[in-house]
This record gives sequence, C-alpha cells and structure tokens, in this order.
Amino acid sequence: MIAFAHPLALLALPLALTPFLRRWLASAPVPRLDLRTGGEAPWTDRLLKAVGVVGITALILGLAKPHLPGGTRPHQGHGANLVLLIDRSFSMDDSFAGRAPNGDEESKSAAARRLLFEFIEKRPDDRIGVAGFSTAPMQVLALTQSRSAIAAAIAALGERGLSQTDVGRGLAMAMDMFDEAAAPDSRAVVMVSDGAGVIARETQEALQALARRNGVRLYWLYLRTAGAKGIFEIPRPGEADTPQLRPERHLHIFLQRLGVPYRAFEADSPEAVDEAIQAIGDLESRPILTLRPLPRRDLAWIFYGLAALMAGVLAAARRLERAYAPRSSAPTEIRP
Amino acid sequence: MRSPVSARLAPPLAAAAFALTAALGPSLPLQRDLRDALITVDVTRSMNVRDMNGLSRLEAAHAALRLWIADQPCGTRVGLAIFTERRSLTLFEPVEVCADFATLSAALAALDWRMAWEGDSMISRGLDHALKRAEELKAGLIFVTDGHEAPPLPYSGPNRFAGESPGGVILGVGGDTPSPIPKFDDLGREAGFYGPHDVQHAPARVGPPPADAESRPGFHPRNNPYGEADLEGAEHLSALRADHLQELAAGRGLVFLRLSEGPQALSAAFAAPKAAGTGARMRRIPAPFDLSPFFGALALLALLVGWFAPSGLRSSPSASGDSS
Repeated sequence: MIAFAHPLALLALPLALTPFLRRWLASAPVPRLDLRTGGEAPWTDRLLKAVGVVGITALILGLAKPHLPGGTRPHQGHGANLVLLIDRSFSMDDSFAGRAPNGDEESKSAAARRLLFEFIEKRPDDRIGVAGFSTAPMQVLALTQSRSAIAAAIAALGERGLSQTDVGRGLAMAMDMFDEAAAPDSRAVVMVSDGAGVIARETQEALQALARRNGVRLYWLYLRTAGAKGIFEIPRPGEADTPQLRPERHLHIFLQRLGVPYRAFEADSPEAVDEAIQAIGDLESRPILTLRPLPRRDLAWIFYGLAALMAGVLAAARRLERAYAPRSSAPTEIRP
Repeated sequence: MRSPVSARLAPPLAAAAFALTAALGPSLPLQRDLRDALITVDVTRSMNVRDMNGLSRLEAAHAALRLWIADQPCGTRVGLAIFTERRSLTLFEPVEVCADFATLSAALAALDWRMAWEGDSMISRGLDHALKRAEELKAGLIFVTDGHEAPPLPYSGPNRFAGESPGGVILGVGGDTPSPIPKFDDLGREAGFYGPHDVQHAPARVGPPPADAESRPGFHPRNNPYGEADLEGAEHLSALRADHLQELAAGRGLVFLRLSEGPQALSAAFAAPKAAGTGARMRRIPAPFDLSPFFGALALLALLVGWFAPSGLRSSPSASGDSS
C-alpha cells in the first residue's frame, strides 16, 4: 500500500483543476467562425486539459513523498533457531595453551569470536540469540535475525571476562529464550565454554523439566586448554571421579541424561573449533520460516517522471501551436 | 528576441526540466556529525527500588532510554552495557538505532538485577571502567545509576579519574526520599526489604580514619581509631545521591542529569560542550539533503503559470510563425 511521508501536500490537489479555467493553446484574436468545428472544443483541447490535470496531480503526489513502507516478508530458508550460550569467565581470554596470548597465538575467546562471525555470515536464515554466563546468566540478545545486532553482540565478547562459571543457570536461561516464533523442531542451544562447574540439584531438576518442555537440541563446544582433562576421558581406576574434580566430564554425563538430542565437541585448537562449528552448522540446517526485511521504497521519482512527460507534451503542444492564418486556398486556375 | 510564443513556451519547458530533475533525485552532499553512545545501566539491587511513580528504577530507566533512542537521528549508534561490582560489561557494541531499534528496546527491557555477577555497587570505579570502555568504542557514555555506593566509599573519597574521558552524561535515577530496597531469596522470589542489619553502613575499617573521628563516640586513638559511629546508619534505604553523582561528573567531563527531566533534556545534555570530556568523538556520516521536493515545487509553479500565460496571439502571422 502506498503511503505518503508528507500527506499535507495533498491539500494542494484542487490546483489540478486549473486546466479547466483556461485553454492551453492560444485563441486566435481574429475570429473565423467558419474555422470552428461545430461549436465545441476540438479534441486537442480536451486532451491537453487531461494532460494538464495528470501533470499537476503527479507533481503534487510527488511532493507528498509517496513510498511503499517496507516491512518484512515471510521467507522459507534453511537454518535454525540458535541460542549461543557463551562463557564469559576470564579464562576464555587465555590461549589454548593456558597462558596470556602473545604474538601469533589467539585467545580462546578471540578464536571463538572470529569463527562465530564466519558462522553467522554463512547462515543468513538463522534466528540467533546470544546469552552469556559467568557467576550469573545474562541475556545479551533475544532471538533476532538482525545480522548487525548479532555481530555487535559477538564483537562485545572481546571485552575481558568476568569471574566464575555457573553453567547450570546459564543453560536454563538459554533454554528459556526460545519464543513462540521458534518452531519446536528447530531449536538448538550451542554452548561455548572452556570449563564447567557443578550444577546444583535444584538446577538439574529445573533443567530436565525445561529441556523436556522446550525440546531443544544441545551442543557443547568445549574449548579444552592444554593440560586440562577431556570430557570423554574415563578416569583410570583409583583416580578420583567426582563432579568437583572433573566437572567437565560430569557435566557431559548430566547432559547426556537430559533426554534431548545432545552432542559434545572437544576442541583444543582454533582449527578444531572451526571443524566443530562446521559440524554444528551442517546438523542445524532444516527448513525454517523466517522473515526477511523489506526496505522502504521511494516512489516519488515515478510521479516526477510522469509529470515531466506531461509537461513535455504540453510544451510540444505550445511549440506546434499556430495562430490561425487564413488558409490560403489553392490557387484557382482561371481559364480564360 | 522574446516573441510571445517563446514566453508561452517557456513555462511548460521549465516545468518539464524541473520535473525531470526532481525525478533524477538530486541531493546536496551534506554531512552530519553524530555521536555514538554507550549506555551503561546499573543493575545492582538498589535499582529495584520502586520509587519512580510506582515503577522500579530499572523499569523507569528502560522507558526513558527507549524514548531517547527513538529520538536519535538514523545513523547514530548505541551500545548497551551493564554495571555492577566495580566494572561494566558490554552486552553489545554500538548498533545503528533505526535498523536495530527493536533489538535495543528488547535488550533494555531484558535488563534485570539477576544479571549482576556480584552484589557490590562501587559506582565510582564502575564509572571509570565504563568511561574507559566507551573511549575504546569511540562513543560517549550515558551512565544510568542511583549513586548508591555499597559498600560505602572509603573515608578518602572516590579515586581521582586519570585518563581520557570520552564525555557523556550521568543519568541519575531514583527519588529524593530514601526508600527500602527489595530483597530476593535464592530462587529469585521477592522476600521483603533489606533491614538496617543486612548492610554495611560505613566503609571498611582500613585506610585513614575519618577526619572527625576524635569527636565520635567510643573513639580511642589506639584501640578504636574509627570510633563507633559507623555501626548504624541508613544505608539500607536508597535515594538518588545527586550530590555524589554531580561530584563524580564534574571530575570526569560529564554532565549530571536526572532521568525525570526527560529524553529531550538528555539529548541536550549529551550534546552540551560540558559533556565533551577530553574530546567528544564524533563520527561524520553523509546526510544527503534531498532537493527533489524543491525542484518538484518549481515544476508545479511553472506548470500553473503556464496555464495563465498570455493567450492572445496578437502579433501578425509573420511574427507568430516559426520564429523560435
């Protein structure tokens, strides 16, 4: 539907009646009644009046700035509703070797940031939300399609992190972020962390309930620091195996028991992170209905162009107008 | 030579030319200086006090900032950060206000005291951290707080600010009457209010004692150099500490403003020279000035004049011929 940015200009529309006040073409000063066609205005007059009305109307409509007001249109794409749950503890600022990054080393958070940028770049149809967690979970960005907003939220991960890691409440927040617009079969939480913590029993129960209700799929991208125990490593007999000493392994076991599709990736280098993100991308690609933004489109130029055409016709008519000269009759041959 | 015919022909020709120019969309290549903003919102417990006409301070801040953002010219970028403990944390870097208004508004609405990773509220240190962060992002700072320091500042007062200040506004939120601070239990359910025994009423007893310590009850130069006046107080109630915030603002090239003064006042304060810090960072963006309405209006005028052009061809047929 066409909308007007300056609707007040439309008040000038009665000016379009001006052509009915005067003739466009000159009237001959010397009346020659015998040249008139039956006492009514010739067809050229009526045509030029119509051209004038159209031209003036088009100009006034153009001045009112007509446009198509944009919005969104549904789009069938391939992707998923993803919540990126990102560890904001300060250990993420260390390199994969577990020390402050120097020279050509990349910190874990910088690697994650760079690869996530690439990830969102390649997947235009995803709706992505971002949540962070340290001691407290925080919702950074509700599920959105705005690439600029997602990029700004990922860029902000470059700031130095906070203190501790409370995985349980972070997961609960991420699972709770899916709204009605997220189809139940395309919801996924991607948790990126370099450690885990013990999840309290109440939180465990809450998580189980949430997972059952929301039906999310869960991915854990574990950024393993050199020297840290892996999540898949089964302790040797005699070695302590408690959630306090091996929180990552026990978190993995807990997530497996959660009753939702779950997959863990262990990455100990930026390349491994890249592979894991690719794999998640391949798994989370199913048809989803999303909205594509439709920009506002300006229509004024069409009206101005039409007006220019009409004014050109009127100018041509003036250029061609002639005063009525007595039509010189064909020389009469006088035969003697 | 101006023959009557060219006088009659000029208006429609001019109208055609003007309308064509308007259709091509000419514009003046003007530029506009915009200042990005980093909004840092205090999410400590005292922001839950409901003394903003029934709204909590956080809710009132959300409502006012949303209006302010809606007021900014397209192209301005606004980022969002939260403050608690002694530092700020950027949620997202500045985004363009028109394209991402929904994001900004939703993120403001989602601000919550539960995001606070610790309970302390060291405002002067958080403010300094936020200033540093805003400077990195080349944006002005809008720091939204009630000025309630918890624990109270040491007797020596806040740290002096050293470094580059990008300037901006401290937006004071809260009422003038001290009001109780809601308290929440482990599961986030509201459970009454903080009482006088829940909070610390004076700075920790480290560093130099207060200047008037000698006159305080229980003072002893060796055994009790701080006196006993710091055992009770009204720190469990919270009001807008305007004086404290004014002082902080003055030392950092910022302007103090109350949230209740409205979005226009915020825009004015943010643009004021006093809020420029050690040099406001402006971003120059092209802001083409559309000239097509101007040409469209000229075309309309010419076309209307055309209908009233002198109509009589009073000259002799020879002059009215193909002279032009």
